[in-house]
Amino acid sequence: MHRADMRVKILAPALLAGALLACAVMMPRDAAAHDYLVTGAKPDLLFVIDPVKAQVVSEFHIPGANDYVSIIVPSSDGTIAYVLINKAESIAGIDLRTGREVFRADLSSPGERVQCMFAFVVTPDGKELIAYEYSTRLGIDSYTVLQPKFVVFSTAGGLHARPLRQFPAPRRIEMLLAKQDGRSFYALGFNLYEYDLGTGRLIGKRGILNWNRPHHSSPDMLAFWPVTEPTGIFASPLYSTLSGPGTPRGGIPETSLMLLDLRTGQLQYHDFERTSAPIFSAVLSPDRHWAFGAYTALTRIDTRRWDVAGRINLAHTYYSVNISSDGKEVYVGGAMCDIAIYDSGTLQKKGDVRLPGCGDQALATLRVVERQ
Amino acid sequence: MSGLKSINQKADLLLEAAQSGHLEEVSAMETVAGCATTFDPGWEVDPFSGVASLCQPMEADLYGCSDPCWWPAQVPDTMNTYPSWQEGKPSAQDDWRELDAVFPNTNAVFPKK
Repeated sequence: MHRADMRVKILAPALLAGALLACAVMMPRDAAAHDYLVTGAKPDLLFVIDPVKAQVVSEFHIPGANDYVSIIVPSSDGTIAYVLINKAESIAGIDLRTGREVFRADLSSPGERVQCMFAFVVTPDGKELIAYEYSTRLGIDSYTVLQPKFVVFSTAGGLHARPLRQFPAPRRIEMLLAKQDGRSFYALGFNLYEYDLGTGRLIGKRGILNWNRPHHSSPDMLAFWPVTEPTGIFASPLYSTLSGPGTPRGGIPETSLMLLDLRTGQLQYHDFERTSAPIFSAVLSPDRHWAFGAYTALTRIDTRRWDVAGRINLAHTYYSVNISSDGKEVYVGGAMCDIAIYDSGTLQKKGDVRLPGCGDQALATLRVVERQ
Repeated sequence: MSGLKSINQKADLLLEAAQSGHLEEVSAMETVAGCATTFDPGWEVDPFSGVASLCQPMEADLYGCSDPCWWPAQVPDTMNTYPSWQEGKPSAQDDWRELDAVFPNTNAVFPKK
């Protein structure tokens, strides 16, 4: 890295803060808000990106990341990014304005290995963080698999955060999502579970594996990317086969979109395509009329007609998709070391951002935070 | 299952599960990630029994599979078994020549450093 680049990176947040402050004085509050992209990369990096300028504005090192930067969950005010690091054994909270580590939960302890298999979430008020933990007692001659649990931390717990409370959890959970009323959270696994945040009481369970949709097989799902912005609705593709009179042996592959509204709890499934291309992650547009899915192609889905409105091949595989707060741009990231920017209406490429150092993003979640 | 005869220990377990009514515990990938809990066809075949829909290039998917212990038979599991496999090699597309072969039941990386 050149010295000049370093200086730009150090100065940029301060200049940006000053510029944004000036804008905030002159413009209505909403108009002053600005999208930033947040992503991570190996070995220990967290990036803040200005998509308008297609530039990295901040580059932070996460202490003790141990070559592992994966799921990213921003606080609702967009100031702190909570990142799963250290072979899934630690969660760090990084202040996106300064790069300072403000929260740290190291999950393992001597004799007990604890890993969070990608499932954690921050409550809407930003005060608590819930992590799903797999624990293994490491004996001299044997390992003992312990009961999985939900563990709740205070985000004010500092750099040695200890659990406030914990509840037993089912196995095979891979994503947590917070309901917007702040009273419960969803755990996504074979089923969609809802738990009381205060007591851990199971409030409800709805089938995903047993979704009981006529003529559909049990669905397959790959939900690594807990993106809920900008709508507060989690979207994910599912794959099943359709069977019935006249269908070929083995059924007809079908791609569907799952929508979970974190405000109302409404869960919907919509078929939109005889499967012709894999999609790893999806995001819903602010007006909810479109959804976008990414993998090795970028897919535009019409959610009023429920069909594919457009698809383009990407330069390479991208795991993670997101969208600007105004719905005009779609971003793809994850996997390798760049983020590509597309026009959401035409799917024309508008630009890209290569991450300094070109470390792989791998499973890092591409998030959009809106800040003044 | 009545027409099948188990010929190894793993198949014995599957048969036992079927007989005790726990067969539903053996399910294909469904929102499950990590360490041998998936039953994807694997690294070599896409959902359409071809290769066109695999990750492109292969290196794009390498650390996305090693980090979550996705296909531990095909890709070293850096979560538990080979935690240092990618150390000092942050970019699969640039560093793939430096990634060594590994062997089961040891923490050995070949060639020995």
